[in-house]
Amino acid sequence: MTTEKKQIDFIHRQSAHCESGVTSNLLYHYGIDCSEALAFGIGEGLFFGYMPFVRIDRLPLTTYRCRTGEIFKRVTQRLGVTVVKKKFRNPQKGMDALDDKLAQGIPTGCQTGAFWLPYFPPAFRFHFNMHNLVVIGKDKGEYIISDPVFDNPVRCTGPDLMKARFAKGTLAPRGAMYFFDNIPGNHDIRNAVRSSIQSVCKTMMKIPIPFFGVKGIRFLAKRLKRWPRQLGEENAQLHLSQLIRMQEEIGTGGGGFRFIYAAFLQEAAGILENESLETISEKMTFTGDRWRTFAASGARICKCRAKNGDTYDDLAGILNECADMETQIYKELIEQV
Amino acid sequence: MHRRTMSEIEKELLDAIMDVCQVDDLPPEDIYADSPLIGPDSPLDLDSLDAVEILVMIQEKYGVRITPRETSIEMLNSLETIADYILSHTDDIIPREMIL
Repeated sequence: MTTEKKQIDFIHRQSAHCESGVTSNLLYHYGIDCSEALAFGIGEGLFFGYMPFVRIDRLPLTTYRCRTGEIFKRVTQRLGVTVVKKKFRNPQKGMDALDDKLAQGIPTGCQTGAFWLPYFPPAFRFHFNMHNLVVIGKDKGEYIISDPVFDNPVRCTGPDLMKARFAKGTLAPRGAMYFFDNIPGNHDIRNAVRSSIQSVCKTMMKIPIPFFGVKGIRFLAKRLKRWPRQLGEENAQLHLSQLIRMQEEIGTGGGGFRFIYAAFLQEAAGILENESLETISEKMTFTGDRWRTFAASGARICKCRAKNGDTYDDLAGILNECADMETQIYKELIEQV
Repeated sequence: MHRRTMSEIEKELLDAIMDVCQVDDLPPEDIYADSPLIGPDSPLDLDSLDAVEILVMIQEKYGVRITPRETSIEMLNSLETIADYILSHTDDIIPREMIL
């Protein structure tokens, strides 16, 4: 590729969550108008899992969404889009392959380590190796990037992008890049919406393991109540702060994902011509509020400024309330689709 | 560097944030509307746990629900960005009985 500016005519739209944002923006580029919320919903992004036996920094893993990469995979599968994915051992080959795609005018998704992207404000840099973005051009050695969590396209030097694409550590991206190969003329959005809702309800209600879905939320509530006694106050606070950071960091997370799913249900109501889904969407928004109340109360405990009603017992109560609210929502959703 | 005077809503937000996050050892005149709010450069020394409390405070005090799109990075940048957000969403105010 020459040093001359080359930028694909790609419409950048900001989103709350990188994977659903990248999915939505790539689809939009190829003529499929799928909002971020729709991508999140069709990709069955909503989930809950509490796995005390899986540790990150010696603290239990809690997840409020499906496994990273699954949203993109499910949306493209459901819409019949063929995707080519590549990983590389050699960083230079990975960058050359990216340049080739840009030269062909193909916007290319990349998995990166967010910590190494210099355009992230320092306060928001964290070691997360599954940050998705779309590379849309190159100018004087700098890559032009549609990073969906930013309001405008950003720029990044070649060495910095290479470092981010080949970041080391858990879930190392190994230069992973992906692009659309074939986009069908017809795609059945109605069916994709319906089947994804059925699938999310099944996952949240029927997995016969106590760590996942609404059972997982209740399981966490039980465990959390015992943390101060079992772990001691300091360690309990560490566990709690990890839980909240996993939930609310950079605005997505437990509450955030519930808000995105509520927006999806709002759109689904129109697509499936079913007004009941609008009411269920509102209920999901209120659930998001309760998750956020949980996080705020937990944050006060961690910061040693607890108010009345900020105890581990109270937190467990809010979690059980969230589980009750979500159970009701999934039951109603199943009836509607 | 020229720093502009804070608007009423920015001052009000600063008071509320200092109250919620129990910041009491910093004179408010040391903070500007565009000072970074969260992270290592924040004069208030706030982190992501404080950010959660700020979100809930905004919803309770101003009746504006901040959904993930707005909480993404830029929204919590400074008092100025939060004030802009609140002022541009006064039409979406949530009825008090529906807050949290």
